[in-house]
Amino acid sequence: MREATSARVAHILREHGFDAYVIHGGLRAWTKGGYPLEPVPSDDVVLLPTFS
Amino acid sequence: MKDIVALLEQHGYAVLAVIVFLEAVGVPVPAALALIAAGAAGAWHHLRPEMILLTALSAMLLGDTILFVLGRNTGWALLGFLCRIALNPESCILRSAESFYRRGRITLLFAKFIPGINSLVPPLAGSMRMGYGQFFRLDLLGASFYAVAYAGVGYLFSGVIEVIAKQAQIVGRAVEWLLFIAFLGYVAYRASIYWKHRKYRVVPRIHVDDLARKMAAGEGAAITVADVRSHGYYDPGAKRIQSSIRLEPNNLLKTVKEWPHDKQIYLYCT
Repeated sequence: MREATSARVAHILREHGFDAYVIHGGLRAWTKGGYPLEPVPSDDVVLLPTFS
Repeated sequence: MKDIVALLEQHGYAVLAVIVFLEAVGVPVPAALALIAAGAAGAWHHLRPEMILLTALSAMLLGDTILFVLGRNTGWALLGFLCRIALNPESCILRSAESFYRRGRITLLFAKFIPGINSLVPPLAGSMRMGYGQFFRLDLLGASFYAVAYAGVGYLFSGVIEVIAKQAQIVGRAVEWLLFIAFLGYVAYRASIYWKHRKYRVVPRIHVDDLARKMAAGEGAAITVADVRSHGYYDPGAKRIQSSIRLEPNNLLKTVKEWPHDKQIYLYCT
């Protein structure tokens, strides 16, 4: 299912009284629409292990 | 089995190479069965055993190398694609990477014997920056175990396979039933996923153009745009929607405890 994570999170938030929505198409649609992006802050990046 | 043996007798190494290559790149074809049949054909002198191994190893290594190079050059995107069949694709990536790193290079030696894992390991090794020389040596060893094991079974038990091939009608019926049961299992699996996710379909959605308009109209203060992708998903240099914040799905309620209820929250993943 597309948008599985965002739909699940939005559903939980709505159950807890928040006005939550899913952005249709996610980051891919936003990027395709040419809207502004920014780099993910380094604090939010947890790099997966590598052999190098 | 009878069909595979007949096909191998007619077209020999080319058929074996195609089947083994397709399995190596993730297509669900019965490469083990083809190797067993090829082994039997080797025992009956229709094919040469050393050529069977050479063909199978070349095809496997070619397929694995393609996935390795794709993994190396697409970061985690290819693995994300292969993990799409998982219930939680993002944790699939994270778990696969951590497991591969923890168990180390030994995984490459037996991965071929595990359906599903066999096509995940080469892109994992590529994404995790394993040196190609090391990957090639370990993959060659693993592919050799796999080819020798299955072709060896076919070679050693060619008599049994001949009997099975002669009783192909009975075997064919059994295979048909097995395929039918597997198909029913797949349908049940998809239905359970649909059932599990049906409640999420009613969650309202917003088109990106409408959201961009809201943000441009200065409604930003009343809006929170949150990125709910998993941490492990990110490649270095990854991008996100401008002014959005990170919201960790596994720590959700603790994070939003202090959030005001009068703001609209717009969520996105990949």
